[in-house]
Amino acid sequence: MSSSTIQRRGFLSAAASAALGASGGVWAAGSDKPEKEEVRIGFIPLTDCASVVMASVLGLDKKYGVKIVPSKEASWAGVRDKLVNGELDMAHVLYGLIYGVHLGLGGPKKNMAVLMGLNHNGQAITLSKALARKGAVDGPSLAALMRKEKREYSFAGTFPTGTHAMWMHYWLAAAGIDPMNGARLVTVPPPQMVANMRVGNMDGFCVGEPWNQRAIMDDIGITANTTQEIWKDHPEKVLGTTADFVGKYPNTTRAVMMAVIEASRWIDANSSNKMKMAETISAKAYVNTSVDAISQRILGRYQNGSGKSWDDPDHMKFFNDGAVNFPYLSDGMWFLTQHKRWGLLKAHPDYLAVARQVNQVELYRSVASAMNVSVPKDEMRTSKLIDGVTWDGKDPAKYADSFKIKA
Amino acid sequence: MDANSFFRVALPPVCGLGLLALLWMIVSSTMGQDIPGPRETWLQAVEVFRDPFYRNGPNDQGVGWNVLASLQRVAVGFGLAALVGIPAGFVIGRVEFLSRMLNPLISLLRPVSPLAWLPIGLLVFKGANPAAIWTIFICSIWPMIINTAVGVRRVPQDYMNVARVLNLSEWKIATTILFPAVLPYMLTGVRLAVSTAWLVIVAAEMLTGGVGIGFWVWDEWNNLNVKNIIIAIFVIGIVGLVLELVLIKLATAFTFEEVKT
Repeated sequence: MSSSTIQRRGFLSAAASAALGASGGVWAAGSDKPEKEEVRIGFIPLTDCASVVMASVLGLDKKYGVKIVPSKEASWAGVRDKLVNGELDMAHVLYGLIYGVHLGLGGPKKNMAVLMGLNHNGQAITLSKALARKGAVDGPSLAALMRKEKREYSFAGTFPTGTHAMWMHYWLAAAGIDPMNGARLVTVPPPQMVANMRVGNMDGFCVGEPWNQRAIMDDIGITANTTQEIWKDHPEKVLGTTADFVGKYPNTTRAVMMAVIEASRWIDANSSNKMKMAETISAKAYVNTSVDAISQRILGRYQNGSGKSWDDPDHMKFFNDGAVNFPYLSDGMWFLTQHKRWGLLKAHPDYLAVARQVNQVELYRSVASAMNVSVPKDEMRTSKLIDGVTWDGKDPAKYADSFKIKA
Repeated sequence: MDANSFFRVALPPVCGLGLLALLWMIVSSTMGQDIPGPRETWLQAVEVFRDPFYRNGPNDQGVGWNVLASLQRVAVGFGLAALVGIPAGFVIGRVEFLSRMLNPLISLLRPVSPLAWLPIGLLVFKGANPAAIWTIFICSIWPMIINTAVGVRRVPQDYMNVARVLNLSEWKIATTILFPAVLPYMLTGVRLAVSTAWLVIVAAEMLTGGVGIGFWVWDEWNNLNVKNIIIAIFVIGIVGLVLELVLIKLATAFTFEEVKT
């Protein structure tokens, strides 16, 4: 941008604030003006990209003086590369991916930032129909089958340091299956999981919706467990960016967070909003799927593909009175403990220091309180996972070493 | 057209297409609903091509825009490769030392899949689009260098003897003797390069995303929308065919020999 435009901008905004007085717009007053107006946010076509997309579609971004440009990406590796080289300003991204890049695990190393959580819950473990016919419909029965019929079993996640890989590992280990020994864990894109499961190459996968619902609709797999059964209200996708971006464009960052928080609140407000969201994001520009594949599970109507159906109160949440969006330090640290557990990290990192660097707790607090969104007092939370082990963020190194099955 | 030439010229390709459609129908009927048949695909194609140039935000554009975006990437990458590759081919063909020096390098790098260069491109150029263009550049430069160099080496010794008798300058040799003699080889290189480039761009776009026929296929695969994937296969094939035909026309215009398809 040439210096004359900057001056003209400055002049215009000065004139505008002079005309409007101190209480001008929501954002326009004085130094709160976003430094960068157009923000490219990458997303992967999954149900949980909804709050980013809706912030743009509902025009909530304009309300805070920014323009969100959602950009559909080909893979998580693509999201990582484009975040690192600055082609994307922010992204709808896997929690663990941000930590992986921050520590340079198996890829580029760059200081990253988790601005806020985008959703809790709403992923699942799918097992193939072939396994289900032999009686493997959950963790224990899968373990029994794997002891009886020895061969190499294949399971898939979506990115090595990502959430799905961690849920897959954790779920297998909770059932007594050593994912490092006797099972093969691979990273593949969701359609490839489905295609491989169809021809009998893939035994199970963990992925976000709508893919698990899709496997049931195509009659190739069953839902063994939802991820909320592994960890009720678990952290999942986050709004991620680089530390550089936060430092360079603090007002833009705040404005985008406000727009996305407002969209999250709108989605969780009632089921008619959820239906509207499902219709919007199922379009070709976003998730590109049928409305049915999204709308059932988003409303908590679950079926497992082998005759059981239930109403799940712990379905995918986008807001949940602000609990979803708060970047708990203990959530970030949990991914580090699992990276250590499975050998992605060779030594214990300084868990708390890394989480404090990455998770922008202070920034989130100020944004949330400006919007009257309730903020939890504690930066840690306590959860009991599927194997009965409690995680409270207090002694991460001990927690990481405490598991019997590990790398 | 009389009956004889009808049987000789028009009938065989029609039979070929018919055979393809027949095989397709057999496969789709034995696979159940996994592979849609020719009829359903045709109906979907009519739908897709009703408005090939719509724009519905950056993530949803008509198939026409996607093809144009891919062609643009191919044109830039290919053009750069021609700018570098053809002169390089001339020099390598003309100077024995350089040829011995660079041949091992070319033999080493040429068989590498262009997609293996994509991560390097991403790191160096810090952008998905330049990285895609870089893969096109790297895959289309080899056929042009090699064919041009071979052409230069095969220039009949008689021509060069005449040049020596007339005491022509190196520049004069290049423009009046080498260039016309090498042209058919060079154009073969160009044709090979364009068809490789078109093969590679689809794969590269699958990885980098953005607007382009490759990412269009990937996105349809993400939804397991097989009908649109089959349509894309035809679109990619037809565009490749058109590129090839244009270059053959170009080659025939510039050379005296008949250009083989």
